[in-house]
Amino acid sequence: MSEAAPFLELLQLPFMQRALLGGLLTGALGGLLGSFAVLRQLSFFSDALGHSSLLGITIGILLGLNPTLVLIPFAVIFALLVSRLVERSRLPTDALLNIVYSSSLSVAVVALSFVRTYQGNIQSLLFGDILGVSWLDLGLISALLLTALAYLALTRRDQILLTIDESLALSRGVAVPVHRLLFILLLALVVAISIKAVGVLLISAFVVIPACASRLVSSHFNSYVLLASGLGALCAVLGLLLSGALNLPSGPCVVIVQLLGFLGALTLAPRQGAIG
Amino acid sequence: MAEMVLEVSGLTVCREGAVAVENVSFDLAAESDTALIGPNGAGKSSLVQALLGILPHRSGEVRLLGRRLGRKGQLPSLVRDQVAYLPQSFGVRNRCPLSVAEFVGLGWDPAGIRFNWVGGEARRAAVRRALAKTHCSDLADRLISELSGGQTKRVLLAFCVVRPRRLLVLDEAQAGLDSQMAEQFYGLLFDLRRSEGWTVLQVSHDLEMVRRTCDGVLCLNRRLCCSGPPDHALSPSQLERVYGRGFVPYHHRHANPSS
Repeated sequence: MSEAAPFLELLQLPFMQRALLGGLLTGALGGLLGSFAVLRQLSFFSDALGHSSLLGITIGILLGLNPTLVLIPFAVIFALLVSRLVERSRLPTDALLNIVYSSSLSVAVVALSFVRTYQGNIQSLLFGDILGVSWLDLGLISALLLTALAYLALTRRDQILLTIDESLALSRGVAVPVHRLLFILLLALVVAISIKAVGVLLISAFVVIPACASRLVSSHFNSYVLLASGLGALCAVLGLLLSGALNLPSGPCVVIVQLLGFLGALTLAPRQGAIG
Repeated sequence: MAEMVLEVSGLTVCREGAVAVENVSFDLAAESDTALIGPNGAGKSSLVQALLGILPHRSGEVRLLGRRLGRKGQLPSLVRDQVAYLPQSFGVRNRCPLSVAEFVGLGWDPAGIRFNWVGGEARRAAVRRALAKTHCSDLADRLISELSGGQTKRVLLAFCVVRPRRLLVLDEAQAGLDSQMAEQFYGLLFDLRRSEGWTVLQVSHDLEMVRRTCDGVLCLNRRLCCSGPPDHALSPSQLERVYGRGFVPYHHRHANPSS
């Protein structure tokens, strides 16, 4: 009882309550978009976007502006430019994305080393600081979650057809270029808004791991999407509770719980597992 | 005079900057079964993709059920819903967790923005009927990514038949099927064409099957080299015009799909 008391007191603190709500919403959002992103082979794209976001944050710091506010337009423009580059290039997509993210990460780190006045903690940029999530951040994440839910639910048929076969989707009148662009924009916004909570290095885990775990145990599309979103939310909350109980870094704790969820799905679905 | 389901006039299509199909004109009458033949690289897939609006066309005119197809593929959804397409290769990407019943239901859903997360009884009944018509009822809960080639083709037919259609376009539907599977597929297609009143346009390399099942043949080698009933279009002299001198058609052995 005496050991649990500090932990229960921690849960009553406003910053911890905001962190739990932030984790719940970010996890659900990551799982929701991740369920489509993984099937459309955009996992590496979200990873590259996350890593490159450090450059956006650095630009914000250099200009003396709020990095979160700079990051949103940066991520959108960056995502549009990179997706255009991928469409037009003859190079393999993964190689191209590797060049983009490693070079932008390097430029950002070098630029940050010149900013003597920067008061922030580089570790919180890399691994996130979910305990620092504000009500403004929660409002933005909630609005984005509602937007993503409405968009994907109203265009469900088009999204699934686009995910399984583009020529079939086009033949059914699906506006493939428009939906592809809107999804990339949505993914960029999710990455930009979730970076503060999750960090540059771990953001893609929020998109990829719950979706992959859900994929292993799902045999219907609706249940796959809902489970990915639910798993994302659950793992985030459990990870934060673990972090609070053991006084460990929050972002990595969430990813470790996601990994445990993935391993659990792998053992539950050996017949149709990832390597089967 | 027979109703025209598809009217093509002076159609030119470009692919990756090069002309793939040049100045092609033809009509398809209602409930006809027409084959589109030609050597590899003749522009057959480009032509059917342009007819469906998957690929934009550079010049000419396409009319589907009397409505003009926009140059970038725009078509009223009421017309689009009456046209179905079986692509040449249908590899469900990345083992998408989509059941056969869910996939066939997507063929029933009309185009446009709507909340249709679950679907109503009419949709479920249409899916059940489509699966029964294509002998796929036992596959309803299977993942489409786990089906064999023959099963996938049947499920694609169920996707087409789930809603009344007027025109069915097939791009090398026999690709990836052994001769027995191809036989079963064509038998099913033949039955559905008659029962559903479909007009069929199919790209094919199987000239023997074309000879026995189709009413008309379009011979394409970037331009339309010849067209007409199989006896005329598949004569040795016409085939040499399309495929080049010394062409010897390869014949699969088939039973009659209508028998």
